[in-house]
Amino acid sequence: MAPRSQQLALAEGLARQNHIQPAVEACYQALANNERDPLVHCLLADLMLYGDFYDEAINSASRAIEIDPDCSPAYLALGLGYDRRGGMWDQSILVWHELAEVEPDLVTAHVQLGEAFAAAAFDDEAIDAWRAALELDPAEARAMYNLAVAALKKEGMSTALPGIRKAGELDPTQDDLFFELAGVVDDGNPAPDPADVPHERDAMITAAGALAFEDDYFAAAELIRGVLEDNPDDPEALGLSAYLYLKQEAVNEAMACALRALTISTRTPTAVYTLGVAFSKRPGLNRNAARVFSALAKTVSGHPMPHVLYAESLLGLQRYSQAADAYRTAISLDPTCVRARFGLAMVLLTEGRYAESMWEIRRAAYHDTRHQGLFWQLYDEYAEGRS
Amino acid sequence: MADDAAARLYQAFVSEDPASAISVIEGAKSAGTNQAQLFDSLFAPAMSLLGGAWASGAIDEYTFTQAAVVAEQIGSFVTPPAAAQDTGVTVLIGSMHRDYHSVDKNIIGAALKEAGYRVVDLGVDVRPADFLDRLEETGARLLVVCASMVGTAKNVARVREMLVTEERDNVLLLVSGGPFVADLELAKKVGANGVVRGAESALRIIDKISRDKLAGGA
Amino acid sequence: MPTRRGSQDRRKERAERSVAPRKSAQKDEPTPATTVKAPRVTGEPTPQGKVPRRNALFPIGVNYYPLDAETQSWDDWYASDVSENFERIAEARFTIVRLFVSWKMLEPQVGQYSEDALDRLQDVIDAARANKLQVIVCFFADDRLSELMDVPWGKKRNPHTDSYLIQREVALIQKIVSRFRTDSSIFAWDLANEAFCTGFGSAAELEDWVSVMREAVREVDTERPVIVSVDPETLYRHTGVDPRAAIDTCEFAVSHSTAPYRAYAAEGPISFGPSTYLDSFLLRSAARDLPVLADDMGVFALEYSAAEEAAHVRTSLYSAFINRAAGAMLRRFRDLDTERREPYFRDPFEVLVGINDVNGEPKPAFDEVVAFARVAARIDLRRYSLIQERTAVMIPSERYLPLPNLAGLYDPRACLQAYIGAKQAHVPVTIARETDDFGAYSVLIVPSAFRLAEETWERLAEFVQGGGSIVLSYGGGDAHHAVRDLFGVEFLGDGGGRESVTCRVAQADVLGSLRSFDATMETPNYALLGHGGATVVATDAKGSPLLTVNQLGQGRAIFVAFPIERALAQGDPWAAPVAVTDMLRAVYGAAASAAGCGAPVTCDVPEVEVALFQGEEDDVLVLLNHASAKVTANVSTDRQLATIADVRGGSPVVVGGTEFGVPLDPNGTATLRLAYE
Repeated sequence: MAPRSQQLALAEGLARQNHIQPAVEACYQALANNERDPLVHCLLADLMLYGDFYDEAINSASRAIEIDPDCSPAYLALGLGYDRRGGMWDQSILVWHELAEVEPDLVTAHVQLGEAFAAAAFDDEAIDAWRAALELDPAEARAMYNLAVAALKKEGMSTALPGIRKAGELDPTQDDLFFELAGVVDDGNPAPDPADVPHERDAMITAAGALAFEDDYFAAAELIRGVLEDNPDDPEALGLSAYLYLKQEAVNEAMACALRALTISTRTPTAVYTLGVAFSKRPGLNRNAARVFSALAKTVSGHPMPHVLYAESLLGLQRYSQAADAYRTAISLDPTCVRARFGLAMVLLTEGRYAESMWEIRRAAYHDTRHQGLFWQLYDEYAEGRS
Repeated sequence: MADDAAARLYQAFVSEDPASAISVIEGAKSAGTNQAQLFDSLFAPAMSLLGGAWASGAIDEYTFTQAAVVAEQIGSFVTPPAAAQDTGVTVLIGSMHRDYHSVDKNIIGAALKEAGYRVVDLGVDVRPADFLDRLEETGARLLVVCASMVGTAKNVARVREMLVTEERDNVLLLVSGGPFVADLELAKKVGANGVVRGAESALRIIDKISRDKLAGGA
Repeated sequence: MPTRRGSQDRRKERAERSVAPRKSAQKDEPTPATTVKAPRVTGEPTPQGKVPRRNALFPIGVNYYPLDAETQSWDDWYASDVSENFERIAEARFTIVRLFVSWKMLEPQVGQYSEDALDRLQDVIDAARANKLQVIVCFFADDRLSELMDVPWGKKRNPHTDSYLIQREVALIQKIVSRFRTDSSIFAWDLANEAFCTGFGSAAELEDWVSVMREAVREVDTERPVIVSVDPETLYRHTGVDPRAAIDTCEFAVSHSTAPYRAYAAEGPISFGPSTYLDSFLLRSAARDLPVLADDMGVFALEYSAAEEAAHVRTSLYSAFINRAAGAMLRRFRDLDTERREPYFRDPFEVLVGINDVNGEPKPAFDEVVAFARVAARIDLRRYSLIQERTAVMIPSERYLPLPNLAGLYDPRACLQAYIGAKQAHVPVTIARETDDFGAYSVLIVPSAFRLAEETWERLAEFVQGGGSIVLSYGGGDAHHAVRDLFGVEFLGDGGGRESVTCRVAQADVLGSLRSFDATMETPNYALLGHGGATVVATDAKGSPLLTVNQLGQGRAIFVAFPIERALAQGDPWAAPVAVTDMLRAVYGAAASAAGCGAPVTCDVPEVEVALFQGEEDDVLVLLNHASAKVTANVSTDRQLATIADVRGGSPVVVGGTEFGVPLDPNGTATLRLAYE
């Protein structure tokens, strides 16, 4: 196999920085030198996908596969092109099958395969594909969202709702909300060693938040304990404690801490959040959850997740049209919010609006796959393998 | 009184004494607090006290965890019922003969069940005679017929004809599906009493019907 | 083809044609649809019984495909009796059916024509005549099922370029035209459909082929219109072949959307959002000097519910009517009976969704056509005409540049967004091309173009100095040096992409009711501007100009410092920041109002498209709700209203003011007669 040409290297560099037009031009220059380089064609396909130019993406990806049938990033681009272009589900199914064979451990291939099956109305095959994805990765949120939608179609909302909530918990965006409420910013620096944290309230709270962000719940809890020893009525410390308990499935402890925090100060958003999440885990407390999330959505109106959480609690109360409004608000705040799009797809199904529902799922899939940066992962592996 | 009950419930938690906890709840109930209020007025304050005790160090981690276990055990006493109460109203639902679309029917049926209706799902491809037979069998007075294609939607008229022939004028026939949503006249033509436009619409219409027309009978 | 578009000369020709009996007319001939005379409509409800059954200047038709089921064979071509269906079509106030010739059936062996097949075609045309329907005969079509083009003796030659096959095509055309040239029910000869035309490799090939075929028709029939039913935008998008030169040789053009084009330009649900404007955008794009038939209306796939299909057809029909279509053709009469799949029976590869189901039962979409025809019949287009569009969205010539230039991919989307923005500002708007004469317009919108031709800048400067207004949004890269003089701003460079758009209003009321905002929206470029004489109307958060207005000569030049239309198009169209779309609407609306060609009536709901047909004594107002939710459109007029009334009849409602509210269902319409004091 030929090494990467200078033009291709240039195109890659530009594409990774999202400089689309010059990257496309560089690809064409690379093709002028060597039309049979599959890497250039699949890179071009991804660039076309970036601009939502599906037919062009399909053409380039197809050419890459024609030149090298093992070009896995081209399969990804081709499948996404078919899915987004719509009306090409048979081809889409074949492509995702191929990719699943070329890259058997690629969870997304199975998820996408399921979505292609579902779009072509092969619901049972779709469920099998999503289950296969979950066998590879039990934390695959999108497979669970899809299974929730499948459950809705067969058994109704009461079966589907726990599924979408469970999927939501796997989806890191919910935690992102908590950390935003707690003022924890991902600045790229590692959390401090607890031993190095000075015994000052703010420093300990900040460090505990950072440790929680890194999933080090025990170290975070130690620091919080230190804060509470100085002031047991610190609502932020209690809110953070509630979150730590929640992450360890200790729902009642979380509820106790959150309620205590709110008794001290009703304006403790972290406690409001954890209380709502704790409520939503208890069948029968949907009304309470809706009340709490409604308040949170008003307080943090610019963040999509409170609206999503509010919408889910409304689904539990069978207030579907209100839920749709909340989901739409979330989507208007963040069009890439996969959870909101799946939720809205579910509401649309309850209204008999299948085509719109399918569209929301396609849109969610698009954002989710793009978010994963899967193309570059496959691209780099493929490029390395051939050099 | 309420504060006192919450304090006693808290005490029962930290004493790891579910029996006392239940007794406190039953006492509150007999004092007039209804099930829907118990969580907010009793359980939540007690949990807040528990959180406060843990925060201040009045109870240790182990006691906190054990108290939470007790709270879990008595949760069903204070939680509003997850499922709605039985309305006593039976609803028959099914997709019309030669119509194999099931999603609409499944979602509407499940939503009605969740809301406390006794839903009898006849499945897809249901012949008009089968609808009649099951109406007889169950004594239901509410029938939801789903049809997603124009041809099958028009055939719902045969259900109405059979209802008339069998003198089941007391049965309310609701229809669901795209053809009816698009053309309300079609629903009138087939003799439907109303059009259901999805799950929430079904809940609203059937709730109104059960209050206005079915009061006193299934 | 009757039309409301084109010069007065064409109108005159039409009027003459419509009243002149055809040379071949027989005594017992039905009156062609084009000659149906509408009664004079008054402000009062027309008495029942004297209502015209159809709009003579807006015929409605439907494609009548030869096969109805996948299980049928190619030789079942129009084998079933069509009389009953044609009777229903006529009853529903349609006036045209399009038929598709099967070359394979008609010429089974070289030079030997099947009399049986010709008789079959004759029977279908006879049935049309018996029901007072006119026929468009399409000679060369690919419908993906009937094998219409697969002559067994063709030996896989290319029917688009092979000289021998072209010779045979000419012979076929002349055989058919000769047989039916005296038949009054022939409305037009359609050389080919778009599926067939995708086989041409270049514009020259297409133009040559059309020229040869057209000549073949003209040798035998000098009168009837000859068309090629391709949409100039969709065919170019699919093949890179620009068919405009070929279309220009025809008597009328067609416009339609296709499934891939919809996915490209306006992806998403069909009952709300950008896709509901796509049909009229393509219609306006196709309309140059020819009348345009809004063709192939209806959904593409069987996945939509009957209600969605109906809403889509309703929106398409009214869009066509209020955007100067010369008529409307529905995609297909009957659903193709496909292999059934659970649970939705979707077959995404077939786009053959009809207005009747597989059993021939009319679907709600069919009823929508009937209801629309009833309304359209009440608007006499000889008495009422739409306000002339003096605002145009300019499609840059770079749109026709091939890859690696991305302008060809981005520009149509940006232009659609601009068109929607103008529509939502209720400005009467049309589409212009960069090379068009700008003299007919007062306002030009140039949306996010990367590059304009050198001479275009000069023409734009002349346009503004002569009193025109231009709204141009920065497209990225180096700005042309003409920007300085034309817009009165100093271009300092491209500031690159931004994750958000901020607006701080410096001069209120210069460009409508602008509001300061912060919105999350990715934009690929942002022009850094220095002051150069223009009025800075709004800036970004740091004071860099966002919107400027420059008075130049008699006109105004408005500059938007980022590619707003492209940013909207490339973002999620269903989650476009309201503040940004509000700003776009305000700027377009203000530019048009200041130029004296703003909204003819004001309406407080952007998603409600407004069209005013002006008459001498009264006007007809059409409202079309592009949203899938109920709305109440509060409308106000400049003149004092006496009454409003539904054009279909009913009692006029006394208004006695300038404002009234109209409740509209999701995707609903209202057509009202406005009488003034």
